[in-house]
Parts: sequence; C-alpha cells; structure tokens
Amino acid sequence: MSLCVLEDVWKTYTLGDVRVDVLRGVSLSIEPGEFTAVMGPSGSGKTTLMNILGCLDVPSDGRYILAGKDVTHMSDDELSRMRSEYIGFIFQSFHLLPYATALENVLLPTLYVERRLDGRRKRAMELLALVGLGDRAGFKPSQLSGGQQQRVAIARALMNAPRIILADEPTGALDSGTAKDIMNLLTELNRQGTTVVVVTHDPEVAGYARRIVKVRDGVVVEDTETASKAGERPVHDALLA
Amino acid sequence: MMRFWLKAADAWRAVRAYRLRAVFCSLSVALGVGAITIIVAATEGAYKQAYDMVDRFGPDALLIFGESEEARATGRREKNITVEDVEALRQAFPTAYLVVPMSNRGDMIVAYRNRKHSTRLTGTTADYSRSWSWPVTEGRDLTEQDVKGLRNVALVGRTIVQELFPDEDPIGKSIFVRNLAVQVVGVLEERGSTGPGHNLDDRIVMPITTAMKKILNEKDRVQAVRMRFVDAKRMEHFEAEVRSFLRKRHGLQEGQPDDFRIVSPREIVKFLVALTGSLVVFIGVTGLLSLVVAGFVLANLFLLSVNERIPEIGVRRSVGARRGDILLQFLTEAVTLTAVGGVLGFGIGVLGGPLLKHAAQFPMHFSWKAFAVGMMTATLVGVVFGMQPARKAAAVHPIEAVRKGS
Ligand SMILES: Nc1ncnc2c1ncn2[C@@H]1O[C@H](COP(=O)(O)OP(=O)(O)OP(=O)(O)O)[C@@H](O)[C@H]1O
Ligand SMILES: [Mg+2]
Repeated sequence: MSLCVLEDVWKTYTLGDVRVDVLRGVSLSIEPGEFTAVMGPSGSGKTTLMNILGCLDVPSDGRYILAGKDVTHMSDDELSRMRSEYIGFIFQSFHLLPYATALENVLLPTLYVERRLDGRRKRAMELLALVGLGDRAGFKPSQLSGGQQQRVAIARALMNAPRIILADEPTGALDSGTAKDIMNLLTELNRQGTTVVVVTHDPEVAGYARRIVKVRDGVVVEDTETASKAGERPVHDALLA
Repeated sequence: MMRFWLKAADAWRAVRAYRLRAVFCSLSVALGVGAITIIVAATEGAYKQAYDMVDRFGPDALLIFGESEEARATGRREKNITVEDVEALRQAFPTAYLVVPMSNRGDMIVAYRNRKHSTRLTGTTADYSRSWSWPVTEGRDLTEQDVKGLRNVALVGRTIVQELFPDEDPIGKSIFVRNLAVQVVGVLEERGSTGPGHNLDDRIVMPITTAMKKILNEKDRVQAVRMRFVDAKRMEHFEAEVRSFLRKRHGLQEGQPDDFRIVSPREIVKFLVALTGSLVVFIGVTGLLSLVVAGFVLANLFLLSVNERIPEIGVRRSVGARRGDILLQFLTEAVTLTAVGGVLGFGIGVLGGPLLKHAAQFPMHFSWKAFAVGMMTATLVGVVFGMQPARKAAAVHPIEAVRKGS
C-alpha cells in the first residue's frame, strides 16, 4: 500500500479578486522506503506540495490519503494528530527553539503525543548520538554551527518515529561540505527504512534520491527513477551505530 | 500528569528566556497585588481588632457615660448619672445580670515606701473581675462587704506591681492613694495596651464608695455605668430600652439630645471598620487601577512576544501541537508570570504593611486569606489579559508560521 497518495490535488489561493492556482491537478503516490527529490523552479509550488504532504495544509480540491487515512477533510486537531504520528519535518532554517537546549529541542514533539512517555530522554539522547551530537545535548542553538543545528532538527524530526521525513531545502542554508554530511545522514536514515522526501534546487542534492519529481507551474512534468549516488559514497555507518 | 509537568517546565523555560517581558509583567502585577494584599490584611486586621476589643469590652455589655455627646466633643466635664439612676437601672432591667457603676480619675499618685507612680483610679462595685471579664490572678476580687463598708482595699494592675513592688509580693501590702492608706487585696491579669498611652495594666481598682467619698469628693454622681445582659443577641434592643429609660428619668423632651452616651459592642465595630474603610477604598482603587495597567502591559508585551515567536509556533504546530496546545502554552506563560508577580506582591504587602501600620496606627493582619486573594487576582489578570495574545498565537496558521524566516 502506498504511504502517500495525492489524487488530482489542486491548491488555490485567492488574493483579493485574483485566484491563483498554485497546484493544478497533482497526482502522485509515494511508496514506503522511497527517497524522493522534488525539483522545480522558484514559485512552482514545491513548498505548497510539501505542506499538503505534511498535513500542514489541505487541498482545495482533490484528495490526499496518508497511511490509508483520507486527510482531505480532517479538522485542524485531527491534522495535528496526523503530523504528530506520521510526519517529521526538516526546514531550511532549522527552526529550533532558541531558548531550549539541543536535548530539549529533540524532546519537543513528545509534548504533543498521546502515547506513553517512558524512556523519552533515553531515546532523545540516542538520536542525538545518531546524528553525531551526543556530546552537545546541553548546548543552545546559538552555540551550535548551522550543520549541527540541522542535525538537531533531524533528531527532532525522528523523535516520534515518523513514517515519512519531509525536508524543504534542508541544505539551503549550509555550505556544500556540510550539505553533503546532512544528505549522507538522510540517506542512512532512508537505508534504515524511513521514507524521505526532499525539496531542492540543487542537482547535487537531488542526486542522493532514487526518484526525482519535477514540478512546473503547479503540475508534475517529470517523474523518474534514478540510480542513487548514495550507493557510490562511503557510508557513514558510525552515525547509525 | 507527567505531561502537565513537562508542559509547565516548557512554559517556564520560555518565561525565563524572555527576561524583559518577565520582569515588566511580574513587577507590574506585583504592585497591584501588593495593594490588594494590604487591603485584605487591613480589613482583616480591623475586624480582628474590633472583635478583640468587643471581646474585652464584653459582647453582652453596654457602657453608659454620664456626659452628652456635645460635652465629650468640647471636653467639658459632665456627670449626669446619679447613684439613684444606677439603682433604678438595676431594678428596671432584670435581664441585666450586672449593673456596675464606675468612677475613673487619671493622674492619681500611688506610693509604697519611697516608690511613687502616677496611675488611673477606677472606682467600682463588687465583682469587677466578672463584669469586665478580667481575671484576678493573685489575691481576691472586691466584695459586697468592701463596697458597703467603704473599705480601704484595692486591686492593682501589672504595671503598678512592676512600679511599686519590683521584688515583693504586693498582696496584703499597704499603699497610699493620694493621702489614703489602702491595702492591696488582688492583682489583675496582664492585658497589654490598645495603643500608645492606653496601657490597660496601669490602673488601680477600688470600691466605688471608698473612691467617691474618700478620694474623689463626690456625693452621688458616677462617671459611668456598665451593664451586662444575659442575651448578647439582643443588644440593640437593650440599648434602645436603656436609652428611653434614662431619657424619661432625666425628663428629656422629644428633640432634646441625650445627656448621656451609650457605648455598645456594635458601635466599637462600626467605628473601627469605618476608620479602615476609607483607607481600604483608597488602596483598593489604586490597587485595581494598577492591576488593570499591569494587565495591559502584559497583553501588549505578549502580543509582541507572539509576533516575535511565530516561527516557534510554526515548529510546535508542525510537530503536532494543536491550536489548544498553543493557547494553553501562552496562557500558562502569562499565568506563570502573574503568579510570580502575585508572590512578589504578597512580599511587597508584607513589607509595606508594617510601614502603614506604623504611619497610620493601622491594624494589619496577614493570613493565608490575604495570600489567597492576591494569588487569585494575579491568576485572573494572567488569564484575562493573556487570553487575547494566546488566542492570536493559536490562530496563527502553521504554514505562515514555518514560512517566516525560511
Ligand atoms: N498563502 C498564500 N497566498 C497566496 N499565494 C501563495 C500563498 N502561498 C504560496 N503562494 C504562491 O504560490 C506559489 C508557489 O509557492 P511555493 O512556496 O509553493 O513555491 P516553491 O516552489 O516552494 O518556491 P521556492 O523554490 O521559491 O521555495 C507562489 O507563487 C506563491 O506566491
Ligand atoms: Mg519553497
């Protein structure tokens, strides 16, 4: 069964009298375990598509089914619940709470889940170790480099054991060396079974994915399987030890 | 439960992170709560003092002075109650179990050997201790025989014991009251003072007959009568009856003022509470105003904070926070700040209260009530004025929120 199914999804914004169709009939399905890159020119609707995939927004028309559940007409609270259970977000500008430590940032998603909280600190510490920041748990974001902050954000995204990681230009604010580290980390997570969708302009970044979806003017214009670059790279097994 | 504490800790982190907001919000609330605390303490203090005084005075007692309101106001001395009046009251009011005449005189020199002291003389009948609920701790009370026989005996207060008998047992000793040799037969329990110059223990009590005839040179006029009634619940009724009885006896016409004055427990409470009331109103208005100001300070600072923290709201929403969670988060922050302000305010009240007590002779009583009222007001300010910013935070669309700054 597909993890995400978009069926003829439209997203329309009305600005005054002007209607803007940002997504114009996108149909797309994402299978468990896939590593997908979404590419396209600026303003083509990539972020809008991600927001719908991540249940931050709902289609104006069409249907979206996540993990077998029709999300299209869910209430705000139900959408929150879906995000909490299935989605891990990674943003271009990290979006860590400035006043909380790395560990507290990683723990943030547990505040809003209904299941039991046993072992949450242990899991958060393990995730920090996984992203290579086991010794920085008590650091504030301002005391960490951009790459380290994005690692904390990745650990946070993993905290609730999501079915899918959605990353909107995760390397957009990083230099190319650090960007490679982050992409290697995402590749490792994907190898472990997490479904990953990355929005990017950067062909280098898209090269890590095994499927590339190209969007233009709110429609999917190309959807191709590729040989992942990841296979050619030395794998950082230590990160997942 | 655990999740509640986690969220409280989360709110506490945010509260501490935004220092300026925290300081302004809690200080402004603290000022208002301080005023409220003082009001509650002052009101409680006034009632407590009033009831203490009533207790001492006797909740079932009336005190009738033989001087008109006017004479009292102008400081003129009047003695309009005669020994016969007292006897007539005794006859007319079987509901009064005690009718005791009194004559007081200040600046009375008492002496023992080479020690001298100026005190206040009270002339009264037997059973002084019972009529004033004032136990005799050593020796005995005055008796019927003492009064009938114009005996030269006296009860003394603690201060007299200290002044005249620093290291002797006063019972049975002979002292001089002016030029009269008098034997001390009893010592009254220590009472303390009701204010400066009102040391209750500085007194000597003698049979009224002895005092009037041998010291005060008074034939038939007493200064006051004290009556105690069996039924303390009907004091208003008794007061009215005594008033009309005495008016009739003194031949007063309709429209003429009383030539005597009745002090009742009710009047004592009324007087003290009225005294406190004006200050309570003043501080109350100030306190409420400062709380409203504090509320607006809080609301505005929180609105700024919400705008500044839109990305944070977005992240929280993206990891699963519902609108309600965001609302609760900001409300918790607001209430945490006002609660801190409440505690500070109670501190301000407790520190500022004694100043007021000193400056205005104000009874003040800090209890859990003052604290509870202060904390409740503080919480209320947090909820009421934190609500709008919190709702605004909750209404932020997650997309807008994560878009910001990315
Ligand atoms: N809330 C909104 N109201 C009106 N128009 C919007 C809104 N959100 C997005 N748009 C418009 O939708 C279009 C697509 O936006 P989107 O953010 O999805 O693009 P994108 O592909 O992510 O671009 P970029 O690569 O620059 O991030 C843009 O023209 C944008 O102006
Ligand atoms: Mg975008």
